[in-house]
Amino acid sequence: MSVYHPKLTAGLWLAGMLAICILGGQALTKDWLETSFLALLPSNEQQPEIAKATRQHNQLSNRKVVWLAGAATSDEAIGHAQKLKQQLEQSLLFNKVVLEIPQQQYIRQYRQLFPYRYQLLDAQTQAILATHPEQLIRQNLEMLNSPIGQMQAADLERDPSLIFSRYFNAQNPVKLNLEQGIVVLSDRQRFYALLLTELQDERLQLDKLEILSNLVDGATEQVKADGGELLVSGMPLFTAHGAKAAKQEISTVGIGSSLGIIVLLWATFRSVRPLLLSSLAIGSGLLAAWVICVLFFGKIHILTLVFGASLIGVADDYAQHFLCDSFGEKDWNPRKGLKFILPGLTLGLISNLLSYAGLGFSPFPGLQEVALFSAMGLLVAWLTVVLLFPLLLTGFKFDHQPGILKLTSYWEQHWPLWVSKHRRGLSLLLTVFIAGGLWMLTPQDDVRLLQSPPAELLRTADKIRSLFPMSPDNRFFLVSGQDQADWHQNEQRLLQRLDMLKQQKSLTAYEGLSGYWPDVNRQQQNYRLLKQKLYDSGLLEHYMTDLGFEQTAVKAELKQFASAESNTLALPEWLATADEAKQQLWLGCDSGRCQSTVALTGISDAGALTELQDLPGVVWVDQVEAVSSLFARYRIRASGLLLAAFCLASLGLGFKFGWRNSVTIMSVPVVSLAVSLAMLGWFGQLFSLFNLFALLLVLGIGVDYGLFFFMAGDRRASTSLGVTLSALTTLLAFGLLAISSTEIVHAFGFTVTAGIVAALLCAPLIGLKTISSE
Amino acid sequence: MILIKALLLYLLACGLGVADEAVLTEIAARLAKTPIAQGDFHQHKQLKILHKPLVSKGTFTYDQSKGVIWKTLTPVVSLLLVNESKLLTGQGEQAVPAAFGKVFKAMLGGDLAALTDGFNITGTDRKTSWQLELSPKDEMLKKIISTMLLSGDTELRWLEIREAAGNVTRITFDGITHPAQLTEEQEADFERLSP
Repeated sequence: MSVYHPKLTAGLWLAGMLAICILGGQALTKDWLETSFLALLPSNEQQPEIAKATRQHNQLSNRKVVWLAGAATSDEAIGHAQKLKQQLEQSLLFNKVVLEIPQQQYIRQYRQLFPYRYQLLDAQTQAILATHPEQLIRQNLEMLNSPIGQMQAADLERDPSLIFSRYFNAQNPVKLNLEQGIVVLSDRQRFYALLLTELQDERLQLDKLEILSNLVDGATEQVKADGGELLVSGMPLFTAHGAKAAKQEISTVGIGSSLGIIVLLWATFRSVRPLLLSSLAIGSGLLAAWVICVLFFGKIHILTLVFGASLIGVADDYAQHFLCDSFGEKDWNPRKGLKFILPGLTLGLISNLLSYAGLGFSPFPGLQEVALFSAMGLLVAWLTVVLLFPLLLTGFKFDHQPGILKLTSYWEQHWPLWVSKHRRGLSLLLTVFIAGGLWMLTPQDDVRLLQSPPAELLRTADKIRSLFPMSPDNRFFLVSGQDQADWHQNEQRLLQRLDMLKQQKSLTAYEGLSGYWPDVNRQQQNYRLLKQKLYDSGLLEHYMTDLGFEQTAVKAELKQFASAESNTLALPEWLATADEAKQQLWLGCDSGRCQSTVALTGISDAGALTELQDLPGVVWVDQVEAVSSLFARYRIRASGLLLAAFCLASLGLGFKFGWRNSVTIMSVPVVSLAVSLAMLGWFGQLFSLFNLFALLLVLGIGVDYGLFFFMAGDRRASTSLGVTLSALTTLLAFGLLAISSTEIVHAFGFTVTAGIVAALLCAPLIGLKTISSE
Repeated sequence: MILIKALLLYLLACGLGVADEAVLTEIAARLAKTPIAQGDFHQHKQLKILHKPLVSKGTFTYDQSKGVIWKTLTPVVSLLLVNESKLLTGQGEQAVPAAFGKVFKAMLGGDLAALTDGFNITGTDRKTSWQLELSPKDEMLKKIISTMLLSGDTELRWLEIREAAGNVTRITFDGITHPAQLTEEQEADFERLSP
């Protein structure tokens, strides 16, 4: 910027902002806010099929909300649930509200599968038939004579051997008690009527999530007022809570930091112009960041906005530096000011952009958004300062000595002296502090720390899980085969092992398609097994006669069996009869591969399950574990990134100012980083990938402060004011992040706060000796 | 049997029954009042499609707080355990079958609210014996059970379940005693029901 044309540059700026406003107008018409927690996570980086399976596996649970209306008697519970059902239907949030289990579906499924009854055998029946067919007859007699055998007795006419009744019951391994067609669960103190709902969209918009939250709160109060108890759980509730908390935090952080900055600036400049100019710089930065992010990513996550709100503090640095420079010289004008601060501002911007570029290389969509958002925000704030301020600051002059300037001048002069006087004791103290903190620092990469739902929500979820153990775990198996037969064989092998683990109580239930649908080979085997053990052996005839069937009925049954020999039921036909949860297990066949998932419930020994992935075609998918280990890997990678950014900045500074000076400037970020890490250790804070990104920010800001002081020359007083003001504004922003209830946001805020305070303390020590050399 | 007695008292207390109050009071007054009852049963199930009945015999134990043990001895030995929240049979834990489950529990496990809410009840009381007729109000239950008849003196002696499909189950109870406490074997069976 050797040529100074304030009007031209301001015109450029205006044109650019106009373009952004027009684009922004378009962006606003779209649904641009993302609230789903899952959108923050990287789509599985290993294999696309695992990503696909994961998506399909989560599809149902992402929309499902489970409601349990409890009361002292089951009738009261059902009453509460019926009232609730009406309320939920009126809300128009759900595309499905299920209270009475639809009997029609069972009846239809029974009719559709019945013709294939000699081909469809459940695993238990297969085993009994193969080894002790007479045991099957015994069990039939037991069921028929039981005082609860009404259903079997009713089936007996169509299905004398009851094999289809057995198969049909095995389809629903978890037995639920029905009253008036409604599932009623009990924990011995209360009865709970179950209501299942499904939201219309998998990814709910914020306003809908708010409606959901309010609906849950309102309904809970309502049921309580009626003397009952309402338990509600489901993924959308967790999302809703996260969105609500984030929204509150955005306004707290945004309003808090804006207010703080206004007060600070007013106290310093006692003029509206700097205030407006700062707001303009921040505002255009945020607007541009928002528009570009929405255009680039399509949607922007609410957490990005939380971080973005804190950007106010950083974007303000440039404006402060320019404005404060005006205190540095008697006959100051914008032209001279810009000439003096431009190198420092530019280097500062570059070092910050480098730090954010680091974020952009992580595979986490959330962090990429934060990176782009921050980089764009800063770039545009910088452009505003450089292009627009010269024009708007024309004729600007302070005629007062702000109190804070006296304070920062005093500070800038006396603090370095005090430090140098006590340098031995201080360096020892600092060394011990840093060493101790680092010693206690332990990384935590568990992805669950990302979300910190309130304990009550978790307790309710646990309670519901214990009452209604039907929600599958988010861990599952992915089974593949070259063709349907190969897949079937692989899955069968897995299910056999799972059955053993189930008996050892490693898990409570599992669900795989091959357990319900025998493939064509197996269907023929089943038929042959029945033929050999029951029909040809005369066992069935004997049993039917003994039981009191007419001879004509016996003959009819034998004839039906004989004529069903060539029946086969293809998988698509079977799937068409199955419920949504089972249909979801099938991933389909393509390019020489068939795949399915096996859902698991009530896992208590995950170790035993992971061992099963040695089976052919079986992959254990643990999304939480996968993302957590991804976090760990990227934490290490981000450490490398931090080191690279550090080296790059050192190199650049070394090239420009010489190695010795580079080391001097870089000592500010180094000490800041070390102190920040040590603080995390001392306070037992969460240390994960996200802190490292905060450290990248500390690095950038540390370099800024070091540079500003290094280049201050005889303008140390105004530099001190600029740095202090920008540090205070940044602290206001990030200090407020530290109060966040979301662990990672809190950790981010804490790390940056510690780092900035350290940088603020270190920076004035730089540049004292360089005055003579300049 | 205590549960019938309690049922009748409950009917009176709530005023829900349509039976003549005086009759119910009389019947309630006649029933023995103890927390434990045990005896033999003889079940005679006539299914429409079979030309001879399914006959089974065994023993039952009722414990007011613990539930019911239904032990079939012939034609095959099998055990059924039930309380308010759980049903165990030879095939493991079962769902209590739709609607009827509740009735069975109510009959043998003492879930009285279910019976009074779900049935229209009429009764007669004669010198030697009393009789109650229960017909379901619930549409779903009506599809399975048309009526249930209960008869007895100081005990419940006889129970008949007429299914809508035409099947009829008759259960008679003999040798009913009211021991002060459960045997070790009975305790062990009930233990399996506790979670």
